Amino acid sequence: MIRSAFASFVITAILLVLVVGIVLVPIALSLPDPLAVLDTFVFGPFRNPRHTGNIVEMATPAMMCGLAVAVMFRAGMFNLGVEGAFFLGGLATVATVLLVPLPAFAMAPVGILVGAVVGSSVCAVPGYLRARYEASELVSSLMLNFAALFIGLFVVNYFLRDPAAGAMVSFRIPAEAKLPKLIAGTRIHLGTLIALAACGLGAVYLFMSRAGFEARIVGSNPSFAHLGLPIRSILLRSQVIGGLIAAGAGGIEMLGLYQRFSWQSLPGNGWTGVVVAILARDNPILLIPAALFLSYLQVGGDLIARNFDVPSEAVGLIQALVLVVVTAQAIMRNPRLIRLVTGKKPVASQAQDTKAVEGSVA
Amino acid sequence: MTDFDLASLITFIPAILRVTTPILLAALGVLISERAGVLNIGVEGMMLTGAFAGVVVSAATGSASLGFLAALIAGGLLGALLSFAVHVLKSDLILSGIALNMAAAAGTTLLLFMLTGDKGMSGSLSSKVLPHLTIPVIAGIPVLGTLLSGHHILTYAAFLAVPGVGLFLMRTPMGLRLRAVGENPESAAIAGINVRRVQIGALVTSGIFAGAAGAFLSMGYVSWFSQNMSAGRGFIALAAEVMGHGSASGTMLASLLLGLAEAASIALQGAGLPSELMQTVPYLVPVIALVVHARRRQRQLARA
Repeated sequence: MIRSAFASFVITAILLVLVVGIVLVPIALSLPDPLAVLDTFVFGPFRNPRHTGNIVEMATPAMMCGLAVAVMFRAGMFNLGVEGAFFLGGLATVATVLLVPLPAFAMAPVGILVGAVVGSSVCAVPGYLRARYEASELVSSLMLNFAALFIGLFVVNYFLRDPAAGAMVSFRIPAEAKLPKLIAGTRIHLGTLIALAACGLGAVYLFMSRAGFEARIVGSNPSFAHLGLPIRSILLRSQVIGGLIAAGAGGIEMLGLYQRFSWQSLPGNGWTGVVVAILARDNPILLIPAALFLSYLQVGGDLIARNFDVPSEAVGLIQALVLVVVTAQAIMRNPRLIRLVTGKKPVASQAQDTKAVEGSVA
Repeated sequence: MTDFDLASLITFIPAILRVTTPILLAALGVLISERAGVLNIGVEGMMLTGAFAGVVVSAATGSASLGFLAALIAGGLLGALLSFAVHVLKSDLILSGIALNMAAAAGTTLLLFMLTGDKGMSGSLSSKVLPHLTIPVIAGIPVLGTLLSGHHILTYAAFLAVPGVGLFLMRTPMGLRLRAVGENPESAAIAGINVRRVQIGALVTSGIFAGAAGAFLSMGYVSWFSQNMSAGRGFIALAAEVMGHGSASGTMLASLLLGLAEAASIALQGAGLPSELMQTVPYLVPVIALVVHARRRQRQLARA
């Protein structure tokens, strides 16, 4: 078991390097100074503490969205409402701190809590419809993402809009509501600690609690209903928890980094969360390095976008490829590759694969 | 829209058909993939890429039909790519579809920037549009003319494809094999059907339909491509297929319903209602329809 986990780790790492190379090298070659592009992408994020800080800032919502996805995927629910929940959570948090008169100390916690509850509806409603009517959570969550976007834009335009600002953005978020900065010279804020704690709690929930254990059983085989598990409430619970985490992440993002609510379209953090969760194999602890790695790529992409004539969208291609190759059974479960990495022959398939082994050793 | 009489209803119908066209084309693609057991979530990205390929190639060649062909080929290639991920790399179907959507959104933006220096719009490319068709005799008849004539060529293609896809699925040996694969791949394989080949074909065909839907977006009523111009229509098509109970005619009715919702939301925005709230309608209707459908199915199961 340990050996195969090690092999999976090594193969994943090699794949990630390959994927980054496949996307980045052609783009770099199309520019006048390819080596400078690669250098900026790979090492740039570490040359300046502010950019290194950017990695941590970006990893914060990625971790929490990844956790939300992992909790739902572990229960077997293909709920893609994380994107909309994150957006609506951020909006409801800003709306709360702007519209509700609260004492300064209560602004951030109450705001984020309200944001989490309101935003979680984007995951919880598809969850309810699935649990109650067996309507596909995949389709309804995709639909509600867009519904959440337009409802959010309506609220911004009619209730929060600052007429003095040129664009369609909200009034300034009051300074008392902002999350405190942790490290001078960067924008790393309290939300990062919350996200780390959430991942830890997520691991406890999934692997040490009864509720998480039940969710994993249902997720691994839905026909275990005969065990007497209350499947519907387990499914609903997983999606409510996922929604709360994702929407809370939206609120934390807003109070941690933003001056005003300024999203005009879905921000994409939810989809990043899907990639993070898949890369971490739905393991809450592994979400932390996975989120840091993808954020590192994003910062690298932003740096080459700023310094060279290339859009940062290249990172989207990398994310897409990561999603495919990391779930590729033909690569991750390939006996030859695993043998190559561990240097051991699996006993069962030894005889029939002798030639293949000789080939790979030579 | 206050005087909602018959005459205004009839003039409203071309608008419904216009917004239904891309949804219907994409939904038929989803239908073929779903019946073969490989639900194509990547339809959104395939539409976007088709729209992009149509604009770029029609601008480069000066020919609308070559642009359209390029859109179909782009969609088909992405179908093959999705199939490669699923059948060769053995990646997860849904996740590969999501990845395809991400890659299409990023890739079209990247290529658009490389070609035009602009990330948002293809305004600098002088791309072509596909024509509208006027049917000679019928166009002169008052009501029938508005209903049947003067639509976009792809609108006709989409509605003519409905019986085509329906007959293919239900009445041809190949359609039967495709449904057998979707119903139970193991049994189909035992019966001598090449499951993999059928599914590859279904995904490529599905991609071609999505490419046509994309071409309608960028070469139908407008002659430009903009970043993320598919704007979730592929997902609406997915909902239309689910609402359509897996039949071509059902998919058409569902697409028309969703088209009606979208057309109504556009019309009501003009009437002074908050445009943002009206824009939610096309996304909320599928959810409600799914629930209604699921409730009916549950009741049927309970009775049986």
